[in-house]
Amino acid sequence: MLPEFFEFYNPTKVVYEDGVATDLKPELDIIGIKKYFIVSDQIINDLGLIKKVTDGLVEAGYEVTGQYTDVKQDARLNDVQTCTDQIKSSGAEGIISIGGGSVIDTAKASNILFSEGGDLVDDYSGAHTLTRPLKPHVVIPTTAGTGSEVTMVAVIYDEENKEKLAFVDKFLLPNLAVLDPQMTISLPPKMTAATGMDALTHAIEAYVGTQASPVSDSFAVGAIELIMKNLVNATKNGDDVEARGAMQIASTMAGISFSHSMVGCVHGMAHATGGLYRVPHGVANGIFLPYGMEYNFEEIKEKLARLAPAMGEDASGLSDDEAAKLVIEAVRKLGRKLNELDALPLRLRDVGVPEDGLAAIAEGALNDGTSFYNPREMDEEELLPFIQKAY
Amino acid sequence: MGMFKTSEKLEEVLGGFFKLMADTPVIADKLLKSKLVIRFSYTDPDLVVVVDCSGEKIDVRPHDTDSKAIVEMSMSSDIAHRFWFGMVNLTKALTRKEMIAKGPIPKVLKLLPAIKPSYAMYPKYLDENGFEQYNITKAYKPPTA
Repeated sequence: MLPEFFEFYNPTKVVYEDGVATDLKPELDIIGIKKYFIVSDQIINDLGLIKKVTDGLVEAGYEVTGQYTDVKQDARLNDVQTCTDQIKSSGAEGIISIGGGSVIDTAKASNILFSEGGDLVDDYSGAHTLTRPLKPHVVIPTTAGTGSEVTMVAVIYDEENKEKLAFVDKFLLPNLAVLDPQMTISLPPKMTAATGMDALTHAIEAYVGTQASPVSDSFAVGAIELIMKNLVNATKNGDDVEARGAMQIASTMAGISFSHSMVGCVHGMAHATGGLYRVPHGVANGIFLPYGMEYNFEEIKEKLARLAPAMGEDASGLSDDEAAKLVIEAVRKLGRKLNELDALPLRLRDVGVPEDGLAAIAEGALNDGTSFYNPREMDEEELLPFIQKAY
Repeated sequence: MGMFKTSEKLEEVLGGFFKLMADTPVIADKLLKSKLVIRFSYTDPDLVVVVDCSGEKIDVRPHDTDSKAIVEMSMSSDIAHRFWFGMVNLTKALTRKEMIAKGPIPKVLKLLPAIKPSYAMYPKYLDENGFEQYNITKAYKPPTA
């Protein structure tokens, strides 16, 4: 069945190569500016990853005008303003962000103020409020999960008002995404597993979501196949460059997919759990994914059944019901393998969620913006038993 | 030229419908929970309406261009009209800039299930209040694919 309407838009150039982050001259020459400001965080700095990139830039004749490495977990509004001030005063012409989702989102939001001035919240929060391209933004992800290097979204936490602000705009799409497995080699097993499950959740929710299209489906299926084949290896053997590279590519493909077709109740539950009990986003997604698939089962089973080959499962001769259950079981099997590596908790009770807090998660999931895109109309009472099972 | 010939007629029809929703508990209770203040800015013809859910009752204020809104929604009057029939794909409208939404989008999205009953109310409201000519449901055929 074809969707009534879809749009596919992804102007971000994606390059992949082992070591490419230290040799960006061909790509940067096309962008055509010479002065870049680096946005990152302290861990990335301590790991020496920023230096690797900046040494390559300087060697190639580019100027690094400064760096902001104070991005914290959850991109924050105050950081965006400070970062923007530093970018402006440095004389930069563009931004290179090196990090995970918070770093990339901080850079995206800073680029709005750097390029356009004004007040971030009053003038630009919302959907498609920008009217022209921003200054060049190059992204070098150091995790394989967020997909933010190819999405038109930035989520910024407003500490004063205790709320997350969404900025959705095609002009937030970076100019260049640099996928270099060397940038994720030092990612610890727990982070590797959690961010990988985040990517898998992006892909599966995008594939079964209400806004899915044949184009977003193709990216989702490609991502799922790569994740199923490589996440365990990347977690177990951090130095496995091929597994690391495959996970980076998968994360980007999943990002392209969900940027177009959105995510649903698994993310809704994960957002609520993160907000209430500070459970990391990827961990929460990893716990909730099979239960969210079961919650949506009747609405998604036909499509889910078609995922079996990408999940590495043989569903020949099975009914849609049976094949879809096999797909959910494949997600559980992956979770168990990661759990055996001590890299991924599988139950809410293991990540500090109290039993009497489950109803609040159901309420939060229902009130999350993602509930609008979930294939099954969300109902708090109907969702709660699935959260209880995840406990 | 859009479906509504004058701003006055648009205000009469949409403003009246907003007031009906404000008096309908199944919708109003959930809107009031959001505490949002939404300014709708319509074009062709032009009209500004603020729907203020921050108090004990929903306050509908046409022509309010001064008060501070949490969410600003801009669109043509025809898109607004079609929206209240449930005929507008929100993602499509936002992507194609047929609607521009400024402010906390997740809060707007979570209101959508709350206002779902209004899609059935709108054609009925038009028929019952002498606005039958604006009821486009009879001509509308939902997509089959």
